[in-house]
Amino acid sequence: MGAENDLSIRNRIQALLDRDDAHLWLFAAGTLFLTVLPLALNTFWTRIALGVLLWVGLAQSWNMIGGYAGYLDFGHGAYFGAGAFVTGIVMTELELPFVAGLLIAGVFCAVLAYAVGVPTLRLSGAYFAIATWAFAEAIKELALIIEITGGTYGMTIPTGPGTAGIPLVGWPDEMFFYYLMLVLTLGTIALAYWLFEHSEFGFRVKAIRDHEDAAQSLGIDATKIKRRVYVLSCAIAALFGSANAYYITFVHPNDVLAPIITDQMIIMALLGGLGTIGGPIIGGVLIFLLNRMTSLFLGQTTLYLPLIGVLIMGIVLFAPSGVVGILRGEVGREDVKRNLRELAEKFNIL
Amino acid sequence: MVSTELLGQSIVNGLLLGGIYVTVGVGFALVFGVLEIIDFAVGEYVMLGAFMGAIVAPVVGGEGLFVVPLAFVAFFLVGMIVQPFLHHVTTGDRPMPLLMGLVFTFGLAIFMRGSVLTIFGPNTRAVPTKTLEGGIDVTGIGTFPEVRVVTAVVGVLALVAFMYYLYRTTGGTAIRAIAEDRDIARLMGVNINRYQSIAYGVYAGLTATGGVFIGLIYSAGPGMGLQYTAFAFFMIVLAGLGYLPGIIISGLVLGLAQSLTAVYIGGELVFFVLFGMIYVLLLVRPEGLLGKGEVS
Repeated sequence: MGAENDLSIRNRIQALLDRDDAHLWLFAAGTLFLTVLPLALNTFWTRIALGVLLWVGLAQSWNMIGGYAGYLDFGHGAYFGAGAFVTGIVMTELELPFVAGLLIAGVFCAVLAYAVGVPTLRLSGAYFAIATWAFAEAIKELALIIEITGGTYGMTIPTGPGTAGIPLVGWPDEMFFYYLMLVLTLGTIALAYWLFEHSEFGFRVKAIRDHEDAAQSLGIDATKIKRRVYVLSCAIAALFGSANAYYITFVHPNDVLAPIITDQMIIMALLGGLGTIGGPIIGGVLIFLLNRMTSLFLGQTTLYLPLIGVLIMGIVLFAPSGVVGILRGEVGREDVKRNLRELAEKFNIL
Repeated sequence: MVSTELLGQSIVNGLLLGGIYVTVGVGFALVFGVLEIIDFAVGEYVMLGAFMGAIVAPVVGGEGLFVVPLAFVAFFLVGMIVQPFLHHVTTGDRPMPLLMGLVFTFGLAIFMRGSVLTIFGPNTRAVPTKTLEGGIDVTGIGTFPEVRVVTAVVGVLALVAFMYYLYRTTGGTAIRAIAEDRDIARLMGVNINRYQSIAYGVYAGLTATGGVFIGLIYSAGPGMGLQYTAFAFFMIVLAGLGYLPGIIISGLVLGLAQSLTAVYIGGELVFFVLFGMIYVLLLVRPEGLLGKGEVS
């Protein structure tokens, strides 16, 4: 009886979550909660919350190209880093305020993504993955060589009153950055929801992911749609890179262009559930907190890596639709058992 | 002034290095052909091999060369165990099997790197050797460290054994049959599970063996893997994905390019050029420079 009850409650929640007005209410409640949240937090926890917002937004941006369009961008972090450096260059060389840096970073990276997307999106599958990965690594190496990014010395971003470009009471502090990230992240989620779950555009994108040739035969201009998704997702990553650069005030190619940035975005989207709005949110919160908590409570900064590795392999093996899939009841005990049975068969090598 | 002696030395050094890279690349290309998997963990097998050299060599009389067969056997077994997982995640009714395979090896790579980093710390270690400390004089060209010459020779021997297995034995024929068409191979009575596992095991073993060599020449560090993943990608992209014999050429080209850029252009540019070339090659010639790879 208990199980039946569970099922019916789950079904009822599911039915509720499938309603559009429920999404709206959920979003409004989340916005309200996150707006008042920092009032209850000290500086330390505000920073943690800020990091969660940053990573949820980044994972959501990767999910657009990787999850919804099905193109595995293994070089998304290049735009996060490029956004950081463009902001730094605009603020130091041109002596413009941060707001200008943010906008220019977004526009610059959108143009860059367009230029890169045109040839690269012709590749598919593993070829696209390797090409984007090589591209991102080349960008990182380039940033280490050329002078304008500070080379191996890195780059210091101007701070202090007046550098933000918008009237602020005093210094840009944690609160400022928290609300900046909040606006960016909520904006990204709302945009992703509207574009991919609520408009014709989203159906076209998913059609391309599920069967590119068939989609094209139905008159969908796959090249154009893919390019738009790619440019959008990369520009968003650049905005986060820009905001993050102003927050951390020092950017170095080995930090903001590190491959682990892309890795984390992919892992978060995958853990939460690819091609869903909820996935990157859940994955972002879980992975970021796992990262922080292992270093906080175990005093260990590297233990996080093997844990993440095992987590990825476990998700791929048993719950390819992620936490969202588990919540939706797509992955039950039966599925895990069947999975294990099929896996055991593959060990039959004699 | 560019002396001919320096040029000759760089070329020979590059070819010696290239011989070792071939042992890394050839298994990688095989796995792509047979399992249709791009293994992001390839560099981590190199790293693990080098680490095994550094840790096991003192136990076996302080001689890194003795670790070579041990590393092959150990990682052959590791590969045999890993492969069924890979096979499982890339088949069946899951969404986006290619993505799942890629991401799985990605998770595996992070797991390997993170575990070594956590257990052994970030420091690099030397792989000790007693016998290979001298140099070999080649009249007219120069002196070469014994360790480079011997590792290259052993690497080529391993390669010859591998090619013999692949092209002259029943098992090798089965593996090539799977690479050609998995379903038909199965219909012909080939035990897919077994030969896929063997193929991945051979790949892991060979790559780790290459890792011991690289550890002997340079050293072993937990962060070294990424570089060799890049090298492996470079080799298969240059050779054409899935085209095995091309790896021998692209491996030697890689060794030469590395040695010549380091001498004549400067070390900091090496990786920019390398990654840039992978990217550009994929865009303009995805079938490889030799034009015999598969195009998706």
